[in-house]
Amino acid sequence: MGRFSLYQIFCGACLCLSVVSSSAFGIETSANTVVDTEAQSPVSRARPNIVFILADDLGYTDIASYGSEVNTPTLTALAEQGVSFTNYHTAANCAPARAMLLTGVDSHLAGVPNIPEMLAPAQRKHANYQGVLGDDVVTVATLLEDAGYHTYMAGKWHLGMEPDKRPSRRGFQRTMAMMDSGADNWEQRPYLALYDQANWFADGERFMLPEDFYSSRFLVDKMIEFIDSNLQGQNLQNTSAKESKPFFAYLPFMAVHSPVQAPKEFINRYMGVYDSGWDALRQQRKERAEALGIVPKNMPMVRMKTTEDWDALSEDDRRYQAKRMAVYAGMIKAMDFHLGRLIEFLKERGQYDNTIFIFTSDNGSEASGPSYPRTFPARLAPENLGYNLDYDNLGLKGSYSSIGPSFASAAASPLAYYKFYAGEGGMRVPLIIAGKPIEAQQSLTPAFAWATDITPTILSLTGVSQPSARYAGRPVQPIIGRDLTPLLSGAAERVYDPDDAVGYELTDHGVLFQGDYKLVINQPPRGDGQWRLFNLVKDPGETVDLSASHALRFQRMLSLYEQYRVDNNVVPVPQGYNQIKQVMTNILLKQRDNILVTFLTLLLLLPFYVAYRIKNTFNREC
Amino acid sequence: MKLSLINIIVKLLVLIPAILFVVMGIRWLVAPAGVAPDFGLTLSDGIGLSSQIGNMAGFFLVLGSCMLIALISEHRSWYYPPIMFLAITALGRIVAWLLHDATLAVSQIMTEVVVAIILLLASRRLPKEG
Repeated sequence: MGRFSLYQIFCGACLCLSVVSSSAFGIETSANTVVDTEAQSPVSRARPNIVFILADDLGYTDIASYGSEVNTPTLTALAEQGVSFTNYHTAANCAPARAMLLTGVDSHLAGVPNIPEMLAPAQRKHANYQGVLGDDVVTVATLLEDAGYHTYMAGKWHLGMEPDKRPSRRGFQRTMAMMDSGADNWEQRPYLALYDQANWFADGERFMLPEDFYSSRFLVDKMIEFIDSNLQGQNLQNTSAKESKPFFAYLPFMAVHSPVQAPKEFINRYMGVYDSGWDALRQQRKERAEALGIVPKNMPMVRMKTTEDWDALSEDDRRYQAKRMAVYAGMIKAMDFHLGRLIEFLKERGQYDNTIFIFTSDNGSEASGPSYPRTFPARLAPENLGYNLDYDNLGLKGSYSSIGPSFASAAASPLAYYKFYAGEGGMRVPLIIAGKPIEAQQSLTPAFAWATDITPTILSLTGVSQPSARYAGRPVQPIIGRDLTPLLSGAAERVYDPDDAVGYELTDHGVLFQGDYKLVINQPPRGDGQWRLFNLVKDPGETVDLSASHALRFQRMLSLYEQYRVDNNVVPVPQGYNQIKQVMTNILLKQRDNILVTFLTLLLLLPFYVAYRIKNTFNREC
Repeated sequence: MKLSLINIIVKLLVLIPAILFVVMGIRWLVAPAGVAPDFGLTLSDGIGLSSQIGNMAGFFLVLGSCMLIALISEHRSWYYPPIMFLAITALGRIVAWLLHDATLAVSQIMTEVVVAIILLLASRRLPKEG
């Protein structure tokens, strides 16, 4: 009781301070538990719910409000009542992005500089190169849970499968988590030989998927179930809106990661749409994005070397390739449809008006699928896993599909490169922050934003303080991201000053953003291993290298990048490293146990066989 | 001829599970993380892990080896240890269900009982008389 009185005094003091500083909405107790003081105030409104939606491998122009031909009315409706970021960047691949999004800490310091599947054994010797979320970072879910939020997660986790790495131990009270880099969307089966099984966990325990399963539908159903369970509890207790606990719902879809799969009714809507090929699609999306103000008008655009010649394809190949993209569009459409069900549910439950939605993608479009999936070497891996690649079944249960580098380039239009590369196509993705509580007008912002900004933005929107140097009795990595709320309210045009530098590294691909400029190196096989400098405001397509004409800036940014590498314990890849080869090597290493079991079994059975032969010989001689 | 064919079938029915048991034992030694979920187990650490690997590998390797020795030596007495192993394991599962709130592992119990019956049959048919 006495503690509560002291608390109220503190709350009053903090409320006064909040006039001059938004960070003063929260205080920290001696146990480092962050407490929302605004919610304690009788004059404050109910704390907002947060729904954080993460698409997987979604390209820059893959949704309608960013220039896509794919009709995504749910996301368009969100964009119409919020702020769309046109210069938001994330990591170039999955798990590092997720680590930064959920912690606000650089991926190298968060323990996830790359996905574990791609780490070289030499890199794994370093503590921060395990590919799983470190113990010295705090997730936004933990901070919100400690501040009195319900915290839910339904979707792909990919930040560690050991018990203490599971989302149920990282701040999420209710979870339905797929732990791998990806998995089948129709049933419980792995999509890579690297995995013995598709690893699904519910509330920290292994989970078998139901027979009637499609990933986007299932994840939204689960999220509705999680939210509804507590809403019903609050209704039973007759809790008022201000007294009830708000929720943080993290919904990382498996769409549109490989294997690209979608229900037939969604695929059918896009049959015939892509018959003109990838170059036409890339151009169409560029024009739409320009018309929408997503990118500057008449911006130059490169044609990736990996883009095949559509006209040189046979009629049958064109038909097949067009269907690959139709399945991809169907998967986006299905994600949007099921997201719409969640929003309808929130409206029915009276939660919509108090909910802030954040939508983004973990990285740019995925180009790792083969250009010609039906050729012998390309079909070997999926067929070994029991998948088929038939045209008729493409995208449905039992089929394996991807879009390949040519359509991936169209999905990232009008940008260069795609996932796993440090070009804009791999790192620049949609970001929409919307919802009635932020009271923002529909707008586009060209301000630079970075994946680590999401956590501090959520904390600011919910009135929860960032952790200090220690949290829950142990030292933690500080959040480096910026609060984006001044951009939402229109109070600021940018949250990064022109001299602020933001670095990033993935398998020796390197990036440094500073002001309007980007220093970048893309390594072979698809990059040239040369440092280049681009002005992203005038040239988001990265077509004009300014390293010679802006030599001083170029050198200064190179120096800042080196400092970034040192500050963030970046470990270079071994000589001759190739990310695809490394995945294959890791698959073979994964099979090492099976090879060893076979060898030892034969060794153990050998004496029995010898004894059997000796006995037979002896019997014959007798 | 008919008798010989039945003996061959019985021998195969002993040989196949024997090899599977040996493989299982080696998997427990080499890659316990892959085999533990098959038994509804989560790998422990420290002494718990040591007991899991040691006991499970010991159980399956002795089980499989006894069955192979029985086939080769054609001495009836070598069938009895695996029969006892399997029967007591099935009994233990039922006790676990009755007294300790464990799940009744019907398919596992059935497998153990069926293999034990095959071994009992083999012990009657296969060893040389005298």
